[in-house]
Amino acid sequence: MECRVLSIQSHVVRGYVGNKSATFPLQVLGFEVDSINSVQFSNHTGYAHWKGQVLTAEELNVLYEGIKLNKVNQYDYILTGYSRDMSFLETVVDIIQELKKANPSLVYVCDPVMGDHGVMYVPEHLLPVYREKVVPLADTLTPNQFEAELLTGRKINTEKDAVEVMDLLHNMGPETVVLTSTDLPSKYGDHYLVALGSQKIVNEDGTNTCQKICMDIPKVDAVFVGTGDLFAALLLAWTHHHPKDLKTACEKTVSVMHHVIKRTISYANEVAGPGNRPSPAQLELRMVQSKADIENPAIVVEAKVLEKSVD
Amino acid sequence: MECRVLSIQSHVVRGYVGNKSASFPLQVLGFEVDSINSVQFSNHTGYSHWKGQVLTADELHVLYEGIKLNNVHQYDYVLTGYTRDTSFLEMVVDIVQELKRANPNLVYVCDPVLGDHGSMYVPQNLYPVYKNKVVPVADIITPNQFEAELLTGKNISTEKDAVEVMDLLHAMGPDTVVITSSDLPSRLGDRFLVSLGSQRHVRPDGSRTTERVRIEVPKVDAVFVGTGDLFAAMLLAWTHHYPNDLKMACEKTFSVMHHVIQRTISYAHELAGPGRRPSPPQLELRMVQSKADIEDPAIVTEATVIS
Repeated sequence: MECRVLSIQSHVVRGYVGNKSATFPLQVLGFEVDSINSVQFSNHTGYAHWKGQVLTAEELNVLYEGIKLNKVNQYDYILTGYSRDMSFLETVVDIIQELKKANPSLVYVCDPVMGDHGVMYVPEHLLPVYREKVVPLADTLTPNQFEAELLTGRKINTEKDAVEVMDLLHNMGPETVVLTSTDLPSKYGDHYLVALGSQKIVNEDGTNTCQKICMDIPKVDAVFVGTGDLFAALLLAWTHHHPKDLKTACEKTVSVMHHVIKRTISYANEVAGPGNRPSPAQLELRMVQSKADIENPAIVVEAKVLEKSVD
Repeated sequence: MECRVLSIQSHVVRGYVGNKSASFPLQVLGFEVDSINSVQFSNHTGYSHWKGQVLTADELHVLYEGIKLNNVHQYDYVLTGYTRDTSFLEMVVDIVQELKRANPNLVYVCDPVLGDHGSMYVPQNLYPVYKNKVVPVADIITPNQFEAELLTGKNISTEKDAVEVMDLLHAMGPDTVVITSSDLPSRLGDRFLVSLGSQRHVRPDGSRTTERVRIEVPKVDAVFVGTGDLFAAMLLAWTHHYPNDLKMACEKTFSVMHHVIQRTISYAHELAGPGRRPSPPQLELRMVQSKADIEDPAIVTEATVIS
């Protein structure tokens, strides 16, 4: 498989977020990963302390120029995640537009990280940049419920709302949308959350099919960091292998997430000791230990097909 | 296996040198790799163009401070390679010394990158820093012949010279020395180069012993970049699994190198086309494609134990 991904995300010396979270799984699955580190921090910002340096939009441009001057700016995928800087994000948009001109088949996988549970945790002025410039270029989008609502201006209270919001997101650009988590009630009860996905496919005869799925995912009583980054990277990999089968791509992605998270929480609880809440350091994803699950995930979650519409 | 490595090396956006070359293989072998990127360049400096940014000694210190403030500065290994800056290198030495105080069993694997084939390709003022400060705190070093000669002030013309040079290097600090390549004639002919290794052990009864090995390595007609970084990372891994068996550790390490290099050169020739010399981008190591060889290398080089 000759498949090259350009991933523009954070680097942490210790732990698994951003490029640290995305690179190893993609490499293990045989993807060539070129990585531009948007920051270099000692660790993620959920620890008591963090220190490091950020890359400016100018410096990002310089790195891209190097790649371009050597005429090696051909990519099959681009992957981006958490960003705090508007000019950085706008430079990313320029780079993607240029790479898409070089390869019109390029797939841009975008996690539009803005916030969660009703609260924005990036500067507010990033929203119009995502809405007007980033999302229109994206081919695959992985918003949570809050981000999907922000981008479309529509609230999600029912499954029907979620379906309409995903259709609105399709109209903005991406053919593949996964709502990675919602507050919608699961038929299995409180211990589960509901995720949904939607994919528009153009059939050979020119008509469109839209497949929508939903999944009930076991909740875990802990705060993980880097799981969203892992999710987007895995969705890239599994939609690559199953380009017209969102059900399978999501089942594999969510199953890997489940194995990694379970291994992580077991280890964290063991290290913390009985009755203690694990610390951020102890809750770092057990990434290298999960290699076999990443390579060949046992399917532990079934996605239900909601509807398949043709037009 | 709970084993954490701190690797302080370059990062390139594209390709496999420095941390890009060392991290994936170590992670595939189950090591936790914390990586401090000493630079971020678009690609290695063998391409027609390269662009990027370097980390200052201060910025390195700031990153280390972050790790320390969180009380997570416990490492089993430190790994370093190519550096161009004396103050950066001196900061690395300070960090290694502090980490050794936190964990006296820490093993510092050091590739003392100074030059090759008779010429230095780092600033000259790095030489005294390596000789007086870095090598004394190293536990494993992987110099080539030129670097071994430079550090000891002794030329290597025979295998006996090489053994003496490795003993001199032991006396400077490291218990494990591998001369990764030399001009010594191979008993298998011109198409092979000779590598040598030496490891000092303390027996249970307190007496000391030295295991020495010679490896004949097939030459490949191409310039690879990042192979030294991969070598040091793999030697770290295999000496970890075979701490008292340098023969085995070297056989595994040199075998992995062989598989990666063979795969790389085949692919490069295929891309370049018949009769053409492959370009630097085409010669990038086929790292992700070599995962199975990294995990479980078929042994294709034999190390001979020498006295």
